[in-house]
Amino acid sequence: MKFVVIALAVVVAAALKVGRRRRHRPTKRRAARSLSSSLSSDVGLIMAREVRERFRGRVLKVTTLFILIVVAAAIVIPVLHNGKAKPQEVGIVGTLSSSLRTTVSSSAKSADVTVHFVPESSVKKAKSDLRSGRINVAIVDGRELLVKSPLSSADNSSGAQLVRSVAENLGIAEAFQAAKLSPAQSETLKEAKALPITSVEAGKKNAAGGNASEATSLIGIILIFVMLNQYNTWILMGVMEEKSSRVIEVLLSAVRPIQLLTGKVLGIGLVALAQASLIVAFALILSKAVGSSLLHGSAPLVVVSTLVWLVLGYVFYCWVYAAAGSMVERQDQVQSLVLPLSLPMIFGYIMALTGASSGSPSALLKVLAYLPPTAPFAMPVLVGFRAVTWWEFLSSAIISVVCTIGIARVAATVYRRAILRTGSRVRLREVFNRTAR
Amino acid sequence: MNAIAARELLMVSILSHVAHVLQIEDLCRRFEALTALDHLTFEVPAGQVVGFLGPNGAGKTTTMRAIFGLTDLDAGTITWKGSVVGQAERRRFGYMPEERGLYPGMLVGEQLQYLGRLHGMTAIDASSATATWLDRLGIADRAGSKVEALSHGNQQRVQLVAALLHGPELLVLDEPLAGLDPSGIDVIGEVLAEQARSGCCVLFSSHQLDQVEDLCESVVIIDHGHLVVAGRVDDLASSGPRRLVVRVEGDRSASWADRVAGVTVSEVTGGEVRLVLDANVDSDAVLELARGAGRVTKFVFERRRLSELFREAVK
Repeated sequence: MKFVVIALAVVVAAALKVGRRRRHRPTKRRAARSLSSSLSSDVGLIMAREVRERFRGRVLKVTTLFILIVVAAAIVIPVLHNGKAKPQEVGIVGTLSSSLRTTVSSSAKSADVTVHFVPESSVKKAKSDLRSGRINVAIVDGRELLVKSPLSSADNSSGAQLVRSVAENLGIAEAFQAAKLSPAQSETLKEAKALPITSVEAGKKNAAGGNASEATSLIGIILIFVMLNQYNTWILMGVMEEKSSRVIEVLLSAVRPIQLLTGKVLGIGLVALAQASLIVAFALILSKAVGSSLLHGSAPLVVVSTLVWLVLGYVFYCWVYAAAGSMVERQDQVQSLVLPLSLPMIFGYIMALTGASSGSPSALLKVLAYLPPTAPFAMPVLVGFRAVTWWEFLSSAIISVVCTIGIARVAATVYRRAILRTGSRVRLREVFNRTAR
Repeated sequence: MNAIAARELLMVSILSHVAHVLQIEDLCRRFEALTALDHLTFEVPAGQVVGFLGPNGAGKTTTMRAIFGLTDLDAGTITWKGSVVGQAERRRFGYMPEERGLYPGMLVGEQLQYLGRLHGMTAIDASSATATWLDRLGIADRAGSKVEALSHGNQQRVQLVAALLHGPELLVLDEPLAGLDPSGIDVIGEVLAEQARSGCCVLFSSHQLDQVEDLCESVVIIDHGHLVVAGRVDDLASSGPRRLVVRVEGDRSASWADRVAGVTVSEVTGGEVRLVLDANVDSDAVLELARGAGRVTKFVFERRRLSELFREAVK
């Protein structure tokens, strides 16, 4: 596993180096190039600087490592929890016939646990063992079950399930005995099964993969939220740094504002994409390696849609945050701007989280999945529920792209007009008021 | 006759274009209640160091920002070698803004190369020019330092290199002397003169008129957004009435000078009196009067200083 991760890191680093070298090459034969090509190479230069500075800084390394650790924990811990569940210690007071022991063992199997029988000399001894936690449950003469504390009906732990199942099955076995059925009749009754239920409409939720894709979309939503927040902060701070350090005047004496803005957005976007790909690849390889159920059912679709919406979410929000960054130059001015900007994201995030854990998509979630600010959170949840068709997914993506183009235009105007205004925080009103500029 | 006149006119216009590469015509800019530029027109000749002078708030920075498209104009045009200044022209200009600005966390060498390449240099040229200029300004050992780790004076030097690196045709420096020690001022003066000799057009601003007298060949002096006077420093300084500086031992108030007809006292500082003489005044007569007040230890004719020129022009 370690080797896979190291190999992946080497490949990413090599790809970046090649990219950098390629970017250098055309500038060597610059003699006869036209203005337009020089403009696009400026965007390339600006982009390359952003990428270089991000990779040099410690922030990227630390946050990537942190996210990788959290993702690894989210994948590995449930697997460990399932695989290495401790056997349930069952105390036996008096005798328990071998057929009843089999009943207990098969009850345990249905509760997904194993049992280990512990002979207890007396009820008193069994009670003290229960209190000390040495045993989980005690069976007294095959007629009564003792547990430490009362079982709540909401308790779904494997221990509680075992106790309920053993109580029920031992009760049934006792009833069989009391009814004096022949062994053959008892066997027939024991093999009783529930009738199959068939629905007349096709189901939307894959019963087997449902839980897995829900868990995957939960992890996906949290990742989208954390990463979008991170990239937005980079954009905001990056633009603000240029304004507050006044390097902006030097830069804009050589390049156009739109080139600077585009270069920054693309550069940070490239780093963001590299980071997101690394994390997703890491998550996929790790789940495969440890045999996690996270990729069962519709989960792979959820992974793909999470990545798609991470990109769409980034290109939508990056313009907004770039425009915001051009309006401020000090930390204290940032505070009052960031909260209203992050509200749609927080709203979408919370709605998607509750939606993903509720079991079925609400009408509100379906609406949010078509609004560009909240779609990056809502749409992957719908995909997890298999509640969208491909053309619904596509049309939401198209709505997002169209709105992004509109937002980018407004943002570029705000940026161009606000970036050179220093002093107090620039108000939107001033940006669109000619004489105040 | 008409043909000859037309040809002469053409020659004059060609000559004037060659002589004046940067032309600022009729610039107007208002900021709400404040008029920053009020029909400002002047020309900057090639191959000269031109001082762009005026008191604080005269409109110098707004003009310089306008050259780089960093402020909107209400009216007016800026042309370089006859064509309106656009992105392609600006890439060949060098600019040192009034509020210095560099990426604080970026390494000096890398930052300069980056800025050089944004002005169209190749990676190799940018790298060698960075090394040359850092060496020239005595900070070659700081190429690997972050800008924020440098002293104020050294940051100023890096900023100057950022403007010079790509061998600009026009160098615009906004208050380049502010905050520099005398040796720093000497270095800048030397660099500017050298740039002008190599054909670069150098325009630098200052609000301390007398400090820059020795640095520039020509000056453009503005006030309240319009031109006050422009021309060669030598011509401007030697024009106008004669100026006499007289020091009389033990006489600090120079009250003797008030009695001389045709002589105005310009200023009295540190026991010296600066006198402005009308054309018909005989300087020997002034000397006689000064002797009457005490022992004369200084009696010299002086050029008109730029601050005096300014005061007289805005009077």
